[in-house]
Amino acid sequence: MFKYQFRWDVVSGSADFLLSGFQMTLIISAITLVLAMIAGLIIALLDMSKFQPARWLGIGFGEIIRNTPLLVQLLWVYYVLPIVFGVRIEALAALIIGLSLYQGAFIAEVYRSGIQSVPRGHSEAAQVLGLTPVQNFTRIVLPQAIRMTLPPLASNFVQLIKFSSLGAVISVSEITRRGMELSASTFRPLEIFTFIAVVYFVICWPLAMGIRLWERRLQAR
Amino acid sequence: MKGIGFAYALHMTGTPIIVAEGVSKTFGANQVLTRVSLPVMERDVVCVVGPSGSGKTTLLRCIALLETPSEGRIVMQGQAISTPGQERPVKAAARAVRSDIGMVFQHFNLWPHMSVLENLIEAPLRAKKMPKDQAIAIAERLLAKVDLSDKRDAYPARLSGGQQQRVAIARALAMSPKVLLFDEATSALDPELRREVLLVMRQLAQEGMTMLVVTHEMNFARHVGTRTVFMDRGEIVEEAPGSAFFDSPRTERAQRFLQQFEE
Ligand SMILES: Nc1ncnc2c1ncn2[C@@H]1O[C@H](COP(=O)(O)OP(=O)(O)OP(=O)(O)O)[C@@H](O)[C@H]1O
Ligand SMILES: [Mg+2]
Repeated sequence: MFKYQFRWDVVSGSADFLLSGFQMTLIISAITLVLAMIAGLIIALLDMSKFQPARWLGIGFGEIIRNTPLLVQLLWVYYVLPIVFGVRIEALAALIIGLSLYQGAFIAEVYRSGIQSVPRGHSEAAQVLGLTPVQNFTRIVLPQAIRMTLPPLASNFVQLIKFSSLGAVISVSEITRRGMELSASTFRPLEIFTFIAVVYFVICWPLAMGIRLWERRLQAR
Repeated sequence: MKGIGFAYALHMTGTPIIVAEGVSKTFGANQVLTRVSLPVMERDVVCVVGPSGSGKTTLLRCIALLETPSEGRIVMQGQAISTPGQERPVKAAARAVRSDIGMVFQHFNLWPHMSVLENLIEAPLRAKKMPKDQAIAIAERLLAKVDLSDKRDAYPARLSGGQQQRVAIARALAMSPKVLLFDEATSALDPELRREVLLVMRQLAQEGMTMLVVTHEMNFARHVGTRTVFMDRGEIVEEAPGSAFFDSPRTERAQRFLQQFEE
């Protein structure tokens, strides 16, 4: 280990190559983040629906997704969908769809527990005072639920960004994939994957911290 | 006794503001209310007392339209506002009188993410579409009335229980209800904080507010209430004007209930 000659020029020499992977990671993360939040909302609404078949659908779907590995799901979407439905999905689309659904299923649980954490009495008081069900939800329940939801939501975001690295397995050219390709041609995995780990940390850590600060500001009231 | 009966009959001749008519309520196999009839007249302060689990809260929740009766109906100023079927016209009538019925809860139920002032103006702004400056003016007047003007911008978590309950009363008053329901408004409070809330309630009664008060405060029922209703096992067992219930309870169940307050 002491004798190891670090060759960081391998990283800096292929900066453009790695940067394009980094961009791809950011794009995937941003799109997936939005889609996962929407998917989570839909699944949560199904879960809490008064219509029983909808509830079954939401709960069944959520349980299956949450209790199978993401990597298997990605491989399934990428390899199985074309066989079963004859639709060839591009690797990038497969990653975005798979990851959105996966993280969405977890985010749905976050939403649901946030909403259910608001004491019934708060919305009953609003109901007696004449607020409509929609006003009740948007003015009384949601603002309180969001507060409860922030910390677990933040860890879901961070997880989502990290999981985007699994795209490498189905050859999506995000940063981890780029690293694999580069290390295959340069035989310098130590420098390359250390650099990539730092890149992930630099994206994820500020995000987690930012949300924590926001949360603390809300609690200060 | 005869004199009292006569006065009582006289008292009952106004038009009731709100009436529970033969209300029954079952939760699954559990019959919680059995054909309870209770008219509340204008300026009445009806106190409902009775042992734990006798259905007092459930009755209040039916009247507040938070529960639907399994049988019977709630009538406000001659119109059915809640029936087992919740038919369309009933729902429309309920919507029309919704803000005429105020309720104060045992656990205050202030909205913790809003300041005291925001708690007070929320319903007038949203449900009544009142202009903001008018809502604020009303809220400030009510805060002065419950002696909490200095807490206008505080958040509920910073207030004592007694202060929170006074804010909750002010919040209910901000909608100018025709009848105000209290469900054990002082039960969650330490004894030394109860007085400040009871004083506000007494003041409201003196100003002629129509009130339906579920309470374990026998002194309040005796001295402030115009009528006392004794409930046990989902039924109204006894009903008497003001303090008569305490001076001469007629039924054995009521006598036994009152004995526990004598020590
Ligand atoms: N939502 C509900 N589902 C099932 N049972 C209920 C429900 N609400 C109340 N009950 C039952 O109804 C009965 C009467 O309850 P209620 O709260 O009306 O009594 P109470 O007179 O207010 O008692 P307390 O003095 O303890 O407040 C109790 O046995 C209670 O368990
Ligand atoms: Mg009760």
